[in-house]
Amino acid sequence: MLVLSRRVGESVVIGDDITITILEVRSDGIRVGIDAPRSVAVHRAELLVELEASNRDAASPSDAKISSLAEELRRRKR
Amino acid sequence: MSAQTLPVIDLVHPLPGFPDDRRFALVDLDGSGQLCSLTSLDHDDLRFLVAPPNTFFPDYTPEIDDATIADLDISSVEDVMVLVVLNPGETLLTSTANLKAPVVLNTANRRACQVIVDDADLSVSAPLSA
Repeated sequence: MLVLSRRVGESVVIGDDITITILEVRSDGIRVGIDAPRSVAVHRAELLVELEASNRDAASPSDAKISSLAEELRRRKR
Repeated sequence: MSAQTLPVIDLVHPLPGFPDDRRFALVDLDGSGQLCSLTSLDHDDLRFLVAPPNTFFPDYTPEIDDATIADLDISSVEDVMVLVVLNPGETLLTSTANLKAPVVLNTANRRACQVIVDDADLSVSAPLSA
């Protein structure tokens, strides 16, 4: 990992078109501005972790579970 | 379980947590398209229960960002299909849906991806009972 020291207002450039700027330093965290092309997805890491966990939980439900939900849905629609 | 299988769906970005699965079939599980599965063609035993959100969440209208529109090469709103991943419990009441990260599918070219919607009110585990 590359570790850099930056002051408020200073930036780091990644590749040709991603700029990360330190906007503000507060007692409980820092504010970071990210300037990237729209094709580059920028996400909070903990959200991706949450999404991975949710996907793993949802993966490969049993036939029995699916059948009973499908049946319940059919009954509900009637 | 009868199943009408649609052609292969290509995930332009793999589902978070499943980096090796990019080709899926969308299978209609109940004959009405209200309950479907995304079944991996890369791994035999991997599938996800998905559903169009309007059955359970009539007010759900996630905003699709420009990057996704570009990634999926979407040219018409009519081609867009939104599916939510369900985490089934024993009953509908204990099942949840991931509203934070719907799967967006371009039916014209069958490209899809799971999109993170930038809305703090949306949950990855919204109860279906709503």
